[in-house]
Parts: sequence; structure tokens; C-alpha cells
Amino acid sequence: MRDQPGSSVTETKGSPRSRKLVVMDWIESRTGFVSFSRKNLDEPMPPGVGWWQTLGNLLMTLLIFQFVTGVALAMFYAPTPDHAHQSVAYIMDGVTMGAFIRGLHHWGSSFIVLVATLHMLRTFFWGSYKKPREMTWVIGVLIFQVILGFSFTGYLLPWDQKAYWASVVGTRIIATIPYVGEHLMVLVRGGKEVGALTLTRFYGVHVMLLPAALIVLTGIHLYLVRKHHISGPVTPRKGRPAPFFPVQLLRDAVVVLVASGLLLMLAVAFRPELGGVADPSGVTFTPRPEWYFLGLYEFLKLMPPSLEVVGTLIVPSMVTIGMLLLPWLDRVESRHPAKRGWIIDLALFMILGIGVLTLKGVLSEPPPPPKAPEAEAVLAPAPTPPSRP
Amino acid sequence: MTSLEPTQMEQSCMRHEPEPPGEKVPRRKLLGWLVGVINLGVFAAIFTPTLRFIADPMRRKKGSDAWIPVIGDGEIAEGETRSVDYRVNVDDGYMVSPLRYSVFLHRSGGEVFAFSPTCPHLGCNVKFHSQNDRYICPCHGGVFSADGGRISGPPPHGLTKLPAKVENGQIWIQRV
Repeated sequence: MRDQPGSSVTETKGSPRSRKLVVMDWIESRTGFVSFSRKNLDEPMPPGVGWWQTLGNLLMTLLIFQFVTGVALAMFYAPTPDHAHQSVAYIMDGVTMGAFIRGLHHWGSSFIVLVATLHMLRTFFWGSYKKPREMTWVIGVLIFQVILGFSFTGYLLPWDQKAYWASVVGTRIIATIPYVGEHLMVLVRGGKEVGALTLTRFYGVHVMLLPAALIVLTGIHLYLVRKHHISGPVTPRKGRPAPFFPVQLLRDAVVVLVASGLLLMLAVAFRPELGGVADPSGVTFTPRPEWYFLGLYEFLKLMPPSLEVVGTLIVPSMVTIGMLLLPWLDRVESRHPAKRGWIIDLALFMILGIGVLTLKGVLSEPPPPPKAPEAEAVLAPAPTPPSRP
Repeated sequence: MTSLEPTQMEQSCMRHEPEPPGEKVPRRKLLGWLVGVINLGVFAAIFTPTLRFIADPMRRKKGSDAWIPVIGDGEIAEGETRSVDYRVNVDDGYMVSPLRYSVFLHRSGGEVFAFSPTCPHLGCNVKFHSQNDRYICPCHGGVFSADGGRISGPPPHGLTKLPAKVENGQIWIQRV
């Protein structure tokens, strides 16, 4: 047994300070929370740890924001083709702060993809995934997949033209998988077409399955980060490690402050879009995915039909598997990028490729949407929803 | 689990630098406050609008003061009490729902009275028992007289009286 912190109360009984100690003693003896937080605040930071090591904390903070705004949005949202678009329009124009809360959730998702990517790049170039931190990296890659899953399923929920057609194409990609593709697509869509069951399916995955997966994976990730401690710079520096509190925690707080400020400004300044309600008969609408899928989108455009499966399945799965196996593919003991040879070259090639393709996608503007009245978001006072046969 | 002993790195971390004497507010404490203020501010900036968003329904006024025709004037006799169903379009969040409600009408001394069937105790719908001229709540046994007054049971007061009028051969009520 270790000593109870604060158990040696020397001050006069009943003084505010001794009362506080009694309370802390009670909390510590019943939960161990005091020593737990003390241990975490004293977590050793090797010399050289600095601003680059604030991205994980920022990512978790953004995920918490997403959780908070997501729960709030779910209280007003209806995942049915009859009412999804209508309920989002109501959130935007009928509910106090609605456009702002949806804006936080919308822009927050882009922030998360961006910060998660930076966090992974930092880990990659610092070689932090090497022994003994292989599993921390693997769990991190899985968290990244979950984040992309959130983006993909969340994109459909507003049920406007963009959402509908991006999901039609996105799920159609699954059908290009040889042999099982068609069946898999029906499973993902909940039917042959994107419809009511696709919406409930995506909603269920978005608000139940993925959050549960994210919480479990993040818990394991944090446990592993604390178990193996922060890796520090690629070449160890002289000096004593500093405790996490106060300097590194202050860096974390400053980065969170700046990023949240940017996010709040975006949410205030730019209303998230809500196009016309999903129209399966529409022929005038050109679907485009969210910006972080544009690289893949442009890549698919480059593929000749006979090689389509290369772009839809083989390359994306090889990249994912390669990322999962990275700690074992990179067998060089040194963490220094200059000494890691082909793995760094391959990564630079991929980053450049994804970057160029994404940029190409961003720059190739789609034809402007037709200025038909249906393209406007209308909040119609709906009569009884027509019962579906 | 590996060794429970703190590692060398941890031990060296736990040996905090002694605070330089003479400083009024120790640096650690000051930075701790700064971190706390930043985090509180950031979370307040996200949570406050979210709470206002969630609390939006509290800002909406309940019901409407529109007059709703329920039955013809001749359809209820002197001294009679009857339950009448009516339909009304209700603002229902993001949609307008056509809902069916009921109201008790009672004619006494030529005048028409309307009572909400909602028991003032916990909101069940009361039933009218014509054999003893009493409203009885099936949930917790509240009993009301034909004029809506409380007789016995847990309800704090009588049935809620709704504004009612006779006009153009119709009986009209207000849902307030």
C-alpha cells in the first residue's frame, strides 16, 4: 500500500485547508483519483517535446466537441427520407443557434480529418511507431478509419442532393469489388437503392456503432500512450525530462484555444450548405465528395474501366494494410528519417500523390448547379407525411 | 503488468524543482490557473450555444388561441355531458402534425362548458361516468363532479376549463 496523500493533517481541525484535505483524502481513498491525476500531471516529457506533441490532445478535444454537438443535433434530427431534409432545414432556420451548432459539427469534421492527418504525419516522421509503441500506432490507424467512417456516414444525413448523390456513388464503389461486391453494396445500402433503409443504417452506424468504437479505441490509445510514455525527438537530447504539468499542458491549452477560435469563427462566418432535397430522378446534379475524399475521387477518374478495381479496392486497401503493418515494414532501428530509406521515400511519394490529386480535385470545379427553385432549401410547413406504400 | 516501481524518468519528474523563495505566486500555480481559464473558456464557448440550442423548445409558447369548431350547437342537450373528438394542426417541431384530441362538453342552464380531459394530477385522460355524473381518472382514482370540480383523490384541483362559445350554430373551443 502506498501512503495516502494528504493524510498527515497537521493544521488546526476545521480550518478551510484541513477540510479540503479531508475531502481530498476521502476521494483518494474511495477512488484513487487524486494520485491518478497527480501521476498524469507528472507524466515525464523527454527534453525536446514541444508543440508537435499537442496534436493528439487537440484531436481528442475536437472529437469531444463533435460528440457534444452531435448529441444536440440528434435531438432535432429525423433519419427518414420524409423528414431528414426538413428537420435539418428546421435546425438551420427554426432553432436557436441551429445554424451555428450544425456549423460547428460540419467544420469540426474537416478539422478532425486535418488534425488526425497531421498527428499521424508527426508520428510517422518522428518514427514514434517503433518498438515498443507499435500497438499505439495500429490503434491510431484504426481510429483514423473510424473518423473516415464518421465522415462517410454523416455526409448522407442532411439528405440533400449532394448527400444523396455522393452516397449513391460512394456505396456504388463497393459493388466494384469482384464476386461479393454487389451483395456487399446491398448490405451497406440496406437494399438495392439508396433509400430509407440506407439513411437509418448510416444514422445507426454514425450515432451508435462508430462512437462506441471510437471511445473504446481512444481509451486503449491513451492507455498505451501513458504506458510507453512520449517518445521524444528522434535523437535523444540531453537534460532531465520535465513533468507534463505545467509547461506541456499549457502548450496543449494554447493550441486548443487557437484551433477552437478558428473553428468558432468558421461556424459563425460560413453557414453549412443545405441544398435541395434528395431527388433520385435528378440528372442535372454532379455529385462530389467532401474535400478529404477528393484525392481518391480524382484517382478513380484516372483509372481505365478495366483497372477500376485497382482504384476502388486494391490501392486503398493496400494503403490501409501498409499503414497498419508500418511498424513491421520499417525494420530500421533508427527513428531518424534520414536513416529510414525506402519507407520515407514511399511515404513522401504517397503524400505528394495524395496532395496533388486532392489539389486537382479542389481546383476542378463542378458545373454550377442549376438555379431551379428545387435547388433552394425550403422549409415547407409539411402536412401529414404521405404514407409510404 | 510490469514493475510497479516508478521508472527512473518518472522518479526524476516527480522530484519537482523547489519553488524559488520570495515569489508571491508560484509559477506552477500561475500556469495551472492559466490552463484552467483557457480550458474553461473554450468549453464554455462550445457548451453555452449547445445548451441554448437544446433548450430552444422552452422558448416556444404552448398551444394557440385559435377558436376551433367542435360540434353543432344542436348536438348536445341541456344537462348532457359528452366527449367530442376534434382534429387540429399542431406545430410539432420541424413539422405540422394533424392531431386528434378530445374535449368534454357539458350544457347547463343553456350555457356550454368545455373541460380538458387531462387529469390535473399526472395527465391521464379522465372518463365520464354518466350513471353517477362523475369524471373519474382511471390512473390514480381522482374524482370530479360534472361541473369539473374536484371531489376526491390526488388531483390538486378540478378539471381545466377551456374557453367555449356558441356561434353560427357551432360550438367552438380554445386550446389554451
